[in-house]
Amino acid sequence: MPALPTSLWSSVARKALMALTGLALIGFLIVHLLGNLILLSGNADAFNLYSNIYASMGSFLYVIEAGLVAFFLIHIVSGITVALGKMKARPVSYKKVANAGGPSRKTVSSVTMIYTGVLLLVFLVFHVVSLKYGAHYDTTIGGEKMRDLYKLVVENFQQPYIVAGYVIIMTLLGFHLRHGFWSAFQSLGALQPRFSNMIYIIGVFIAIILAIGFLFVPIWIFLNS
Amino acid sequence: MKLDSKIPEGPLAEKWDKHKFDLKLVNPANKRKYSVIVVGTGLAGASAASSLAELGYNVKNICIQDSPRRAHSIAAQGGINAAKNYPNDGDSIWRLFYDTIKGGDYRSREANVYRLAQVSNNIIDQGVAQGIPFAREYGGLLDNRSFGGAQVSRTFYARGQTGQQLLLGAYSSLMRQVAKKQVELITRSEMLDLILVDGKARGITTRNLITGEIETHMADAVAICTGGYGNAYFLSTNAKNSNATAAWRCYKRGALFANPCFTQIHPTCIPFSGEYQSKLTLMSESLRNDGRVWVPKKQGDNRAPNDIPEDERDYYLEERYPSFGNLVPRDVASRNAKDVVDDGRGVGPSNVAVYLDFADSINRLGENVIREKYGNLFDMYERIIDENPYKTPMMIYPAVHYTMGGLWVDYNLMSNVPGLFVLGEANFSDHGANRLGASALMQGLADGYFVIPYTIGDYLASNSFDKIESSHEACQESIALVNDKMDKLLAIKGEKTSTEFHRELGKLMWEYVGMARDEAGLKKAIKEIPKLREEFWQNVTVSSDKDLMNKDLEFAGRIADFLEIGELMARDALDRNESCGGHFRLESQTDEGEAKRKDDEYAYVSAWEYKGDDKKPALHKEELTFENVELTQRSYK
Amino acid sequence: MADMTLTLKIWRQKDRKSPGKFVSYTVENVSEHMSFLEMMDVLNEQLIKKGEDVVEFDNDCREGICGMCSLVINGRPHGQEHGTATCQLHMRKFNDGDIIVIEPWRAAAFPVLKDLTVDRTAFDRIIEAGGYTSINAGGAADSSAILVPKSDAEEAMDAASCIGCGACVAACPNASASLFTAAKISQFALLPQGQTERKRRAANMVAQMDAEGFGDCSNHAECEAVCPKEISITHIARMKREYFKAMVFDE
Repeated sequence: MPALPTSLWSSVARKALMALTGLALIGFLIVHLLGNLILLSGNADAFNLYSNIYASMGSFLYVIEAGLVAFFLIHIVSGITVALGKMKARPVSYKKVANAGGPSRKTVSSVTMIYTGVLLLVFLVFHVVSLKYGAHYDTTIGGEKMRDLYKLVVENFQQPYIVAGYVIIMTLLGFHLRHGFWSAFQSLGALQPRFSNMIYIIGVFIAIILAIGFLFVPIWIFLNS
Repeated sequence: MKLDSKIPEGPLAEKWDKHKFDLKLVNPANKRKYSVIVVGTGLAGASAASSLAELGYNVKNICIQDSPRRAHSIAAQGGINAAKNYPNDGDSIWRLFYDTIKGGDYRSREANVYRLAQVSNNIIDQGVAQGIPFAREYGGLLDNRSFGGAQVSRTFYARGQTGQQLLLGAYSSLMRQVAKKQVELITRSEMLDLILVDGKARGITTRNLITGEIETHMADAVAICTGGYGNAYFLSTNAKNSNATAAWRCYKRGALFANPCFTQIHPTCIPFSGEYQSKLTLMSESLRNDGRVWVPKKQGDNRAPNDIPEDERDYYLEERYPSFGNLVPRDVASRNAKDVVDDGRGVGPSNVAVYLDFADSINRLGENVIREKYGNLFDMYERIIDENPYKTPMMIYPAVHYTMGGLWVDYNLMSNVPGLFVLGEANFSDHGANRLGASALMQGLADGYFVIPYTIGDYLASNSFDKIESSHEACQESIALVNDKMDKLLAIKGEKTSTEFHRELGKLMWEYVGMARDEAGLKKAIKEIPKLREEFWQNVTVSSDKDLMNKDLEFAGRIADFLEIGELMARDALDRNESCGGHFRLESQTDEGEAKRKDDEYAYVSAWEYKGDDKKPALHKEELTFENVELTQRSYK
Repeated sequence: MADMTLTLKIWRQKDRKSPGKFVSYTVENVSEHMSFLEMMDVLNEQLIKKGEDVVEFDNDCREGICGMCSLVINGRPHGQEHGTATCQLHMRKFNDGDIIVIEPWRAAAFPVLKDLTVDRTAFDRIIEAGGYTSINAGGAADSSAILVPKSDAEEAMDAASCIGCGACVAACPNASASLFTAAKISQFALLPQGQTERKRRAANMVAQMDAEGFGDCSNHAECEAVCPKEISITHIARMKREYFKAMVFDE
């Protein structure tokens, strides 16, 4: 029997891939935020010990990183495909566009996903370059020599323009997640009407918590040092 | 001309089965050698095209809209009848047959109507198998409701969108055949002429409504499924694009037009509101199940409906027809509405409306039950009138809705022109002088799914067909004729738009060939309509260009035809000096003002033959014989 | 209310290939009881009398069921009223002096044929790809042989009430046809009659939808908000589940 003409790159499956990777990345963000909270304690050793857990994973870290990169890539490529497809599907745009209201979920967040996404990508590169591949300070804790990432982070967050940049980008992250979280469930076909509103509200909360969580840390460090 | 209805011999209940056996068959391997053109994609057209394609014939299916799914069958709301007897309330094929023939006021053929009742059950089976979401009971079985003209519940429905669902079912079958390349679908294309070769219908001439190109399509048989001519009245519940041009072109090529005066005025429409109005909107007759019709007892009573106390209301249908009450057949309900309005007791801003009141049902069943049954109709009413019918009684008034007349066909649904089949509302066959509610869907689908697949085979197997190229002189003559008419229309460049002429025609028709007709009025119509037609051909102005999409040109051509049909309707109405069904002659009524038939003189089908533009058409009569039902004065008291 | 005078800014385009532009018209004596299309009729009558080309716009039943009418009115497909097709929009929703921008459905898969008329045959081809049950006339079992729970029949009917107008595509920021396609897939997925072919149907109809050049669904739900039949995006969720099943399992 010939296989059904389904494809991983059909409009439905593509969005499912975007949704799955998006949800996975939200999971990553939650773990990341929990780690960041250690910075609030002002305890440099605690933070460095925590970050050393990853550094000492050795090649396993590469596996995790490769996975993360793959998730990001799938998410980015599918997102760009959707955005390009949109331009192709509507070559002539409307003179006047109004929101329909009512059950519509169209918001500033939903129509700017590609822009917030691209800005987050640019930020991601900067973020990785400036921290992971930034200045390498050493510290010794309990006799073990390890990277003093805390020092680098604090240095970074003492510069107002970096803090301002983080605040802006993390706000955009909030916008991205506000539509993204709910949308992921809908793309996966997981929404029954009675859950739909609940998931949407949870999405708004997750967006707010992650955005505020991430932007609070730089501000806090900036104000406390 | 001798009209042979080809009704098979034998007892009524066995005629169709016997006939099916007697019909010649086309061997399965040979079916692909035959081609059929189906014009129209409504219930009749889509079901015929898909069923013929399923059998293996090559089908070309043509429609004026952008998609077959837009055909006006889609607007039928209430339901479809079938003699399933699921409610166990005494229904049977015989009873459906009897109700339909009686409802049609004994002006239809027994054999046709019986066959319709027989296949009604197959239609429901077919629809369910297609995945039509008919209304269900909690147990999962199909639900039924009652409809005008019947005392049993035999109407199957899908909310207030039964026509839509049945059409989408037929459309889905059609699209399946399109995918199989068994049907070639040609949309946005209008049939403007019938091509005859050696006296047989062999093709059609069409205009591509996007490019304006005139094209010919050839086949071994042609099936006309293009609906009725109700838009001759300008205001009707028909769609804006519903027209009679295809059928009328066939008439002008020699097909007989039967019973043109039989038009149905539907009792429950939203009343007329102003000169600019483009159409009237029907509210399903099913509303009469739970709504009570009334007007004030006093003339000129301008109080708000809810301020009129119970004892000052005249529930005139319940009063006059105690056993059927609000569920009398459509013609009776319409005429009574006209009576009370003529009596000065009409309501609403124009005083040309009656109330349809749901207050009692809402009290009895609760607003939710009413909303579940009729929610979409109530919403529609509120959108148009801007009043909440849950709180204030609806205002309704009759409007032209359906035409029982149409091209004459025999029992095989073939017209007097060999190879020209006519299905659905476009033919005259099954409804006599009045169609019962929920029977139009039944007839369109019966013709398409379960009659023509058998009868067309007999015609194809009995005849031989040479291949006809579009260079054939008959095609060229037809193309020239079509072009000539359009060039003439465009060349006039007069002062009035075709809509203005259409509106004037509509007023003449409504006034003189409307709900009540008399000799003087009909004679006046026969005098006035040709005058208007003459003025049209001298003074119409049509928006330029025939090589582009041009709806104004399309309309002008159709209105030119309505201006001819209107006259034929009046002539037929004048000839039929009796009242029957939807045709009410003031000269022929009982002492109580009910329609009075004259069976001795008029138990025939009038079939009109075109004799030339300036000549009177010739009347042929097909006598109707009734062997199984007794002709009685209809009574719904 | 007194009659209104309105300014209409209408997209005019001679045919599929020609470029189009907006042209302004003034329409006077518009009654509040007119439907939007009746107001357009008034405009066209004026144009005919002036010897100008009429504005082409698709319309037919004018009772909100045939799905022929379209028109993006002031940025909203079918205008601002929820659950209403253009033909049932009444002028009482507008005010004297209003400027109304009227545009055709905009999508690569719905090319403009003339003025406000677009070609929606892409929808027919999506149905052709699987929007049916494969049964022939004559072969059906007795209708009482199939039991359908009332709630399933009702939900299937919600989906089946789609009129195929294309407002969902017109409203979608991505010009996606997901709601249209999903409504049909969902109707059959909910009914026993649709089970035999449900995977094939989902796979083929989605493939055709993609091939027609519609955009992806980004879950803006504008489609549901403009749908004259208020069809829910829940059906899109069901379409996705149907598609995943088709990806994972054989027929």
